[in-house]
Amino acid sequence: MELFDTATVLTRVLTTGVVMSIEKNDRELPGLERLLTKRTGRARAVLVNSRSAAVHSALAGQGIGHGDEIRQRGLGEKDRAFLAWLGVTVREDGPEDATPAFDHIALDAGNLHRLGELAAEATAPALVVDLTGLGFGPAAAVLTDDPALQARAERLKIFGAYDLRTMWTQQEDAADLVPGVQFNYRLSPLVAACARMALGQATRTPASSGAAS
Amino acid sequence: MITDFPKNPLPLPDPAEVSAELAAFGGGQIIPKDLRRTVFPVITKEDVFTLLLAQRQAPEKVVADFADAYRAYVGAGWALPTASGTSSLHLALVGAGVQPGDEVIVPAFTFIATAQAVVAAHAVPVFVDIDPRTYCMDPAAAAAAITGRTRAIMPVHVHGLPADVPALRALADRHGIALVEDASHAHSARIGDQVAGSFGDAAGQSLMADKNFPLGGEGGIAFFREESAYRRAADYVRRHGIDYEMSWIAAAFGSGQLARLPYYDAVRARNARVLGEALDETGLFSAPHVPEGHVHAYNMYRIGLHPERAGLEDLPVWAVKEAVHELLVAEGVPAREWQNTPIPCHLPFRHRDGFGGGYPFSLNPGAVRDHRPQDFPVTAGMLESTLVLCRELRAPVEYERLLRYADAFRKVARRPDAIRKLVADGDYRRPYEKAARLG
Repeated sequence: MELFDTATVLTRVLTTGVVMSIEKNDRELPGLERLLTKRTGRARAVLVNSRSAAVHSALAGQGIGHGDEIRQRGLGEKDRAFLAWLGVTVREDGPEDATPAFDHIALDAGNLHRLGELAAEATAPALVVDLTGLGFGPAAAVLTDDPALQARAERLKIFGAYDLRTMWTQQEDAADLVPGVQFNYRLSPLVAACARMALGQATRTPASSGAAS
Repeated sequence: MITDFPKNPLPLPDPAEVSAELAAFGGGQIIPKDLRRTVFPVITKEDVFTLLLAQRQAPEKVVADFADAYRAYVGAGWALPTASGTSSLHLALVGAGVQPGDEVIVPAFTFIATAQAVVAAHAVPVFVDIDPRTYCMDPAAAAAAITGRTRAIMPVHVHGLPADVPALRALADRHGIALVEDASHAHSARIGDQVAGSFGDAAGQSLMADKNFPLGGEGGIAFFREESAYRRAADYVRRHGIDYEMSWIAAAFGSGQLARLPYYDAVRARNARVLGEALDETGLFSAPHVPEGHVHAYNMYRIGLHPERAGLEDLPVWAVKEAVHELLVAEGVPAREWQNTPIPCHLPFRHRDGFGGGYPFSLNPGAVRDHRPQDFPVTAGMLESTLVLCRELRAPVEYERLLRYADAFRKVARRPDAIRKLVADGDYRRPYEKAARLG
């Protein structure tokens, strides 16, 4: 991405002083969530700090865990190894048009502008969008229209039974979403801000300014 | 442009305020509502420049340079930068040789991530009680919990005070098991000349933005004594396709913060000393205990309550705590419980679904048991009789605020009659009878 634009975003976010992902007044993470839902046509987003975290969230959101089996075609070796570590068995047989457990899109500067059309082709209940290729560090998201999937996926990346942003006031209100093992998969606002900037730039005409670098 | 620069200065202390009416009873507040926000980390133009320059470097180099600089500061042999404290603990356990189904001894009082990291490593946490003076793992309790399947002892340097490492090290050596530190509260904490993170065979440490040494958001780092442990952890994430890498943005920000860490350490130590003296003078409150030769990092500051010293010995200590909590918060002091029940009593360890279907608990059913708060009497007792300042002693610009905190404690301690009234009027319950909370 343009270094100047990245510099501007980093400067702006640092100047707000909000660099902690559980700050009540953080606006970068919610902003990226909204942008991703808008671009993908999905209603809800869960932001996480890596591709494998997104795969884990996509499955956990559907209640898929150790000992379960999914039908999924075209998995790479890395994803296959990760699912084995989770204790999830992958079967690649079955109908060609069977709905997979999750779809995945790996974004980079070259295909960022096509996110909308790529998302439209996806049919799985959870869409994993890997943002790592944008160059701001590991980052990813899970997009879905299923509120229960989102709720369970969010539980995976917090601790106990409460949203950390409200952990000092919130009472338990969803006992059916009992957490199992939990990981800190939270994304940093600084990384989210840069990804958000990149997504915003993907569909606008670059303005000419200054000398060519 | 939005900024977190304060809008108003905090007034200097006024001695008359200490004897004025309590804020909870209609008096003025020691710290007015619009002056309560604290600023940390302090972000300067140097931090911005550091990130601007870092974006022109290879990202893996930015992360590697940061990890090596911090590893050298801690004095550890090897380091793996990660995306979070939890992942650093997970990798520390893996590096130390923990295998699926193994038992790892952890304290019943910690942030839940310590125990969740054990589950992440496909092992089973075995909870033990704490030492009442340090709030860290009790070596005797740990010794009693060792079985033939114990693979590691994982003490937590609670709030930034190093655990009894010499005793735990000796215990681990006697049984041929690993010592793995959770140093997430303990940046720059020391025993003698040794820095937390370098005490054990491995260590995990959070570098999240609410820690003493914050990266730009989320981050962590695992330390290893031996190269073999480091290789085992590095190979593990590659073999299993686990993405735990740190963002270069977080690392770049951390590089700037590392240069300030010694200064922040000095500020925290000074603030803790000043507040401790003020608390000890009140009778009702006491400062954290620090064993000889230990250096506390003060990520949090846990304050003891002693009702018997204020003529309130007939009242339940937990009721006095609740009343004092209300009085302090009304004055503008951000006092908290920071946990209200032992970790094994939280939902993930009551239901133990783990990765699904009860894995990895199903690998070692003999190590699994249901717990009640009463099973950890020291932890339960501590939670009933202490309050915490979570992150308000760390910033260098907050010396005046510290003095105001001290005055607030003095103000409350002067009024045992008010405490008694609140206890009589309030509907207080023991901490663990309320919904389990982590903050």
